[in-house]
Amino acid sequence: MTEILLPTIVVLATLLAGSVVVAFLDHAVAGIIAGSSSRGRLLAPLSRAAMLWLRPDSTTEHPDALLWRLAPAAYLALAALGLAVVPWSADFVPVTLPTGIVLWGAVEALATVVIFLNGWGPNAPLPLLGGYRHVAAGLSYILVSMFVLIGVALPAESLAFDAVIASQQGLWNLVRQPLGLPLFLIVGLGLGVWGPLRFADADDLAGGTTAESSGPRRLAWALARTAMLVAFSAVAASAFLGGWLGPWLPGPVWLLLKMLLVLTLLVLLGRVLARVSPERFVGLAWLVLLPLAFIDLLWAGLLAL
Amino acid sequence: MSWIDLAFYVLAGIAVYSGWRVFRTDSMVRASFLLLLSFLAVGAVMLLLGAVYLGVALFFMMAVEMMVMALFMVMFMMNPAGLNPMNMVHQPRLAAVAGVVAFLALAATALLADFPERPVPTGAEPVRALGTELLGDSMLVFESAGVTLLATMIGVVVLSARSGRFGPSDEGSRPPGLEPGGEPAGAPHESPSTGGHAHPH
Repeated sequence: MTEILLPTIVVLATLLAGSVVVAFLDHAVAGIIAGSSSRGRLLAPLSRAAMLWLRPDSTTEHPDALLWRLAPAAYLALAALGLAVVPWSADFVPVTLPTGIVLWGAVEALATVVIFLNGWGPNAPLPLLGGYRHVAAGLSYILVSMFVLIGVALPAESLAFDAVIASQQGLWNLVRQPLGLPLFLIVGLGLGVWGPLRFADADDLAGGTTAESSGPRRLAWALARTAMLVAFSAVAASAFLGGWLGPWLPGPVWLLLKMLLVLTLLVLLGRVLARVSPERFVGLAWLVLLPLAFIDLLWAGLLAL
Repeated sequence: MSWIDLAFYVLAGIAVYSGWRVFRTDSMVRASFLLLLSFLAVGAVMLLLGAVYLGVALFFMMAVEMMVMALFMVMFMMNPAGLNPMNMVHQPRLAAVAGVVAFLALAATALLADFPERPVPTGAEPVRALGTELLGDSMLVFESAGVTLLATMIGVVVLSARSGRFGPSDEGSRPPGLEPGGEPAGAPHESPSTGGHAHPH
């Protein structure tokens, strides 16, 4: 029983606690950038969540009720699925899968579907526009992510995360493949509908996929987005920063520290990067980021030879 | 009955039921994602069979493919954003006959064929074996299929893009009327003095 219960609790608790940490980080970073005006209201993220929780739900005319209700839950489930294949130490891996990297690719692809469905569900113009926008962005960044991750799997000669971490014993992939992490961070922003890649829920669409949702439904969506960032940070830490490897401290502590570093980077990038329009991002992704991902893969392949 | 058997029956049930619903729904988008659900259940069955690469690869390939399929269907059909209900079945009688024949043939193969009794050996490495097969003896077959699919995708993008090779694709085109021979649906009414087209009134 414990071999099922313990990994489940670890994964779910990490997602929940990590989401709270992301909310506080984002609040703090925004406060620092804008001056210290909001630093006094330390609990603002929690009170905002409580306000959403207490506000009543609303509905639209002829919604696709099932898909609309399932979308946030499926998004959260995908985050849990992605986090579950990341090893915490040599002998604690929630789910051992020899193709963990491919599963993460599946999580990224299915996240695009789920974000689209959240826009499809309400049967209203602004959410639908947000959904179609994200599909355009998602189909562009998934390819970048795939090439970057193949580059990580090459030196490990394996698609399993424990082998990828073991291959970074001497030198992290961050140094060995310098293009990898920067490209992958952009993928992470898209995956969490975050910062400059917040096309689906954008303000210029009055909230996009969330334009018609209120109350707990909206809170669930916000939680799922941050949970996906947390799962992404674990994958990025394992793929580029050596995962649980590190001196003195136990493996899980190192993983958590590296996840915190990646999350801080994501939150910071989300606040300081210039926002581009979806059309320009698609051009940027296919004409600049994808060729850079090819170079990254070539680099990794030549080093691995 | 072990939990693996139970999982197989549940997943097989989901695969068949959602596969059937694909043809009963009235929306391109819902049909695509019901088909995706069916494929996800099949992928999970493949994981139960120990095909760790093919099962997981089916997840991400079908997720991207069904998303792209829904998108291209919406782009090709005269159905704004895929929101209008539409019939998802063409030539239903022929399709039903073909489906029944194919099902009977597959079921007969499964039940009557003499399969070798060969459980997967414990040391088998399915991922490595598949990679060796893909880049070894079967390379020509898979690479030909890959290049064909790539050419198809480029063709679809060229055909569905508004900025086509011969100028804007909707220039001079005429949307169909709401009733046979009716006025073009959604198009601004053209007065005969400015419009260059001859309208069959």
